[in-house]
Amino acid sequence: MERLGAPFGSDIDRSESVSFRFEGAQVSGYRGDTIASALLANGVTTLSRSFKYHRPRGVLSMCGQDSNTLVQIGQQPNRLADRVAIEAGLDVTAQNYWGSLENDRLAHLRHFSRFMPVGFYYKAFYKPRWAWPLWAKLIRRIAGLGTVDLNTPHGYYDKQYLFSDVTVIGAGPAGMAAALRAAQAGAKVLLVDENAEIGGALAYARFDGAGELAEATHAELAAKIAAEDRIRVMTDTMCTGWYADNWLSLVKGNRLYKLRAGALVVATGCYEQPLIFHNNDLPGIMLGSAAQRLIRLYGVKPGNRAVVATANRDGYGAALDLLDAGIEVACVVDVRADPPEDDMSAALMRRHVPIVAGATLREAVPTSGGGGVRAVKIARLEGAEKAARRYDSFACDMIAMAGCYAPAAALLHQAGGRVSLADDSGAFSVHDLPAQLAAAGSVAGTNMLENVLGDGVAAGRRAADEAGFSVAATSEPPRVAEADASAWPIIGHSRGKDFVDFDEDLQVHDIENALAEGYRHIQLLKRFTTNGMGPSQGRHATLPAIRLAARRTGARLDETGSTTSRPPIGPLTMGHLAGRSFEPVRYTAMHFRHLERGARMMPAGAWMRPEYYGEARAREENIAAEAMNVRDNVGIIDVSTLGGLEVRGPDAGEFLNRMYTFAYLKQPVGRARYVLMTDAAGVIVDDGVACRLHDDHFYVTATTSGVDGVYRTMLWYNAQWRLKVDVTHVSASYAGANIAGPNCREVVQKLCDDVDLSPEAFPYMGVRRGHVAGIPALFLRVGFVGELGYELHVPASQGEALWDALMEAGADAGIRPFGVEAQRLLRLEKGHIIISQDTDGLTTPHEADMAWAISRKKPYYVGMRSVSIQEAGGLTRKLVGFEISDSDAPRPKECHLVIRGGAITGRVTSITRSPTLGKVIGLAYVAPDQAEPGTEFEIKIDGGAMVRAKTVKLPFYDADGARQEM
Amino acid sequence: MTLAPKDRTRRSFLYRELESAGAVFDELNGAAAAMSYGADAEAEAAQARSLGLCDLSALPRTGFKGWNMSAWLKAQGAEMSEASNIVTPQADGTRIARLAPGEALLLGNYRGHGPLIEKADSAWSMQEADGCFQVPRAETNFWLALSGSHVPALFAKICAVDLRPESFATHSVAQTNVARLNAIIIRADTGEVPQFDLLSDIASAVYLWRALLDAMAEFGGKPVGLAALQELN
Repeated sequence: MERLGAPFGSDIDRSESVSFRFEGAQVSGYRGDTIASALLANGVTTLSRSFKYHRPRGVLSMCGQDSNTLVQIGQQPNRLADRVAIEAGLDVTAQNYWGSLENDRLAHLRHFSRFMPVGFYYKAFYKPRWAWPLWAKLIRRIAGLGTVDLNTPHGYYDKQYLFSDVTVIGAGPAGMAAALRAAQAGAKVLLVDENAEIGGALAYARFDGAGELAEATHAELAAKIAAEDRIRVMTDTMCTGWYADNWLSLVKGNRLYKLRAGALVVATGCYEQPLIFHNNDLPGIMLGSAAQRLIRLYGVKPGNRAVVATANRDGYGAALDLLDAGIEVACVVDVRADPPEDDMSAALMRRHVPIVAGATLREAVPTSGGGGVRAVKIARLEGAEKAARRYDSFACDMIAMAGCYAPAAALLHQAGGRVSLADDSGAFSVHDLPAQLAAAGSVAGTNMLENVLGDGVAAGRRAADEAGFSVAATSEPPRVAEADASAWPIIGHSRGKDFVDFDEDLQVHDIENALAEGYRHIQLLKRFTTNGMGPSQGRHATLPAIRLAARRTGARLDETGSTTSRPPIGPLTMGHLAGRSFEPVRYTAMHFRHLERGARMMPAGAWMRPEYYGEARAREENIAAEAMNVRDNVGIIDVSTLGGLEVRGPDAGEFLNRMYTFAYLKQPVGRARYVLMTDAAGVIVDDGVACRLHDDHFYVTATTSGVDGVYRTMLWYNAQWRLKVDVTHVSASYAGANIAGPNCREVVQKLCDDVDLSPEAFPYMGVRRGHVAGIPALFLRVGFVGELGYELHVPASQGEALWDALMEAGADAGIRPFGVEAQRLLRLEKGHIIISQDTDGLTTPHEADMAWAISRKKPYYVGMRSVSIQEAGGLTRKLVGFEISDSDAPRPKECHLVIRGGAITGRVTSITRSPTLGKVIGLAYVAPDQAEPGTEFEIKIDGGAMVRAKTVKLPFYDADGARQEM
Repeated sequence: MTLAPKDRTRRSFLYRELESAGAVFDELNGAAAAMSYGADAEAEAAQARSLGLCDLSALPRTGFKGWNMSAWLKAQGAEMSEASNIVTPQADGTRIARLAPGEALLLGNYRGHGPLIEKADSAWSMQEADGCFQVPRAETNFWLALSGSHVPALFAKICAVDLRPESFATHSVAQTNVARLNAIIIRADTGEVPQFDLLSDIASAVYLWRALLDAMAEFGGKPVGLAALQELN
């Protein structure tokens, strides 16, 4: 492991070695290395294989902006080797090869590339249709990326909100200057950068011939930021998207941050572009900035003899850095015919590096085996897009490319901004940005450091001002002339492999052929070729595609347009999106008592309720036994989940009269009355009971899952009616227990001395206040299960104590709790419906045989007009009770259809085997003429068999109600 | 021997969580309140200054709402902000959070006192309601205190409202959503240690308690007893 000495390697700690595995072999690096830098330091230049032709690929950008470095780390596919820091024990493997990374058996696919043009699979495999799944499987095997382990354990991901007066995305020179200026104005600033350290290009690039300006500027800005309390720096943090009102998503580690930025400065820099020539993807060919990163940040020599190809001044800086690192520079090839003389070129000339102006690279010559480069062929340019046939050859083992730049403008695009590209140079500009958003630095087309810093200061001042921090006007520093930059030539090679899109192995002729086929619109071109649709999202591929399209169509670059940038900008895992799972669950006061008793819990809305108690394997027996204990003795059920609403005020009776179908104005205090709610369309939406506790006070129950909707509906109507009434939602405020069965009165009597429980003093549907075991309680004599029963509502904090007292008092009598399933069985025997089980989104009171619950003596209730119209129009179905007499017949299930003559006339809504009656009973919708008791009909069950059922009169049990009214 | 929560009929919905965390209980307002989690009071006070979670379910609280709420409460001697989402401290230590023009929440102090609460609850009846109606806040909402310098960072993980001290002043009220639950958050501190009251659905107490402890873990947050909270105030 050979490294350059300090000051090279600013990001690594040479005192700490770190070992990991790559392709099964042990590799050592230093703390601070990325996987890619450590591998290159150990002479490993091939990191993966390409998507389509399985070509060996190495470092391209060295900053996670390309797909060449995608590797598998343990169970995590598609991690960026030039982003992920090494850790001891990492198990890293390359992706997308068959055999070994060095000897990929699918590498021979390159010989068949002429038979695999863009879109070949659209055209080749679409018929016969049955064959496509086979092809798809094969193609996916050949052209895959990482491997997903479906058994990967859940990781811990979460989310966090952030707030700032001013946010700066990108901590390069422009971002740092902006942050400092905004903070000086008094704003709290969040400075975000995706790298481990702030500084951006100042950390690795060269801005002057002497190579001193970047380091000095970096140190000065970093020190000022460290000393500024108002600036919070978040490194290793990727901003993945811009949303309305400067809402930004940030990812750091396993956390997704949701940032509300007051004002925003985007200083995200730009992407250096590769040049396009034959074999421009060989390992050893990289961006100039990648070579500089390897040298400056990691102390890694990217080669021994380099050729630098450039379209601007920055290639000269890269060449000087290569020289400083002891790398021989064979020549600098400048596509500009007449490059300006400046401090960079002067420094190069002083070091006797030949500069070949007005030329471009035509071909890289691979080493045997194709895993590297051994020479490059250079040709003179003859015009903007034509090269001479004659070439010169230079031996080298690396090529540094410094094409023009594409702005890292995804955030600006998402905010509505536009980028204008100059046709005759590599320049660009941004415009149409919304308020409270500024772009600064090279993302806005500025490259000279003086101008970049000036841009940053101006953007920071403006952002602070927009965030409400008054800023004194200051004179802005004078601007210097921007450096000359050229739009590098795109000249296809007769033998192809001149890659435009490294992700998808797209070559110049692939783009040109698609254009020739008519895919001229940039969006169509993208979709047909998949150019820019790979992991690097067109950072290096979109700009050449735009230029190729413009060349073909004769349009200007601006007219050609660009593709749409959508979040996420960078890789984002499902774990980040999901975050930590917040799934609120509501427990009643007695919840843990149910668990202690062996209850099988089931969800009821957000609540958990006991389905039944006991072993799951004896489910049916347990439910039947619980039900029979209610019929024969005494049972208790937790009804705390029932909805509860306090309706209070002088107009409470009038309010209920309008909200529900029944009449409530004359309901006596101390009595409960059934409530049935319909919506404006006359559809049943909820039911319960209204207990009149005072002339101006009703305590109204509602269904567990319906109460929130009922509450909202009540508030909505009362906002219009403006009655003198207040509605308070108290569902969770009261715990409830329903104790039922012929022996329940004796149990309650043991605990109550202030309510006369005799049937004369406290009849069915009576309501009383008193105490149970010293706990204040509301007593309701209601009978959902059809037996003598008391529903006791007590303050929630005392619900467990109530339960304990009742269980203890009933122990001698053999009290046992019953669950939701036993309750459903018992109520079915009584023919009581459950809203939303026996009704649906269309059920009317008459269909459900609930006309008895409609008052015809009052002028109005919600849904009255609709119900009247439905009644006049006649029924199309009716809910009836039925029984299945054949004890050997298979039992239908809920939602099985009632069929007559091949037509559907209804469906089963509830069905069970009644232990009390010894037969299968249920509720079903049937045709009106099937509703007459005694009528037989057929139910189609699973598998298509028909089961005969017979309509019977409801209820099935205790028709005169004697048991519940005893 | 410590008092056992189940020895009282009023029980915090969290008492099993508190027991399993090692709480030592004492009687407060007829219920068992978790006063501490061990013998080291100084360490627990330090925990409360860093990040502590305290169950206040035993403390007095009530609510009133209706079109005549303000006048009725003022007749009981209450002082109240005209603006919503502001807490007005009362002379007796009770705090009144105005949740809406027609709704108020009354909270006792951390020593379990709330004379105005007792007075208002006793005075109220349906006969005398007159457009102001009692809300059983002690049964509707469980009540937690979160204290310590890390609380704003903790809230940032579970709540979308900006609760940084510079943005959310003492006596501010936020009626918002915490870990997907409706909640009332009140900035309660008057000193150097940030402190917030959190009231939410009583039936979801166990869920939120566990969610908070999970979110607190990265800051070293732990349950603290009422004694540590009293020490802060």
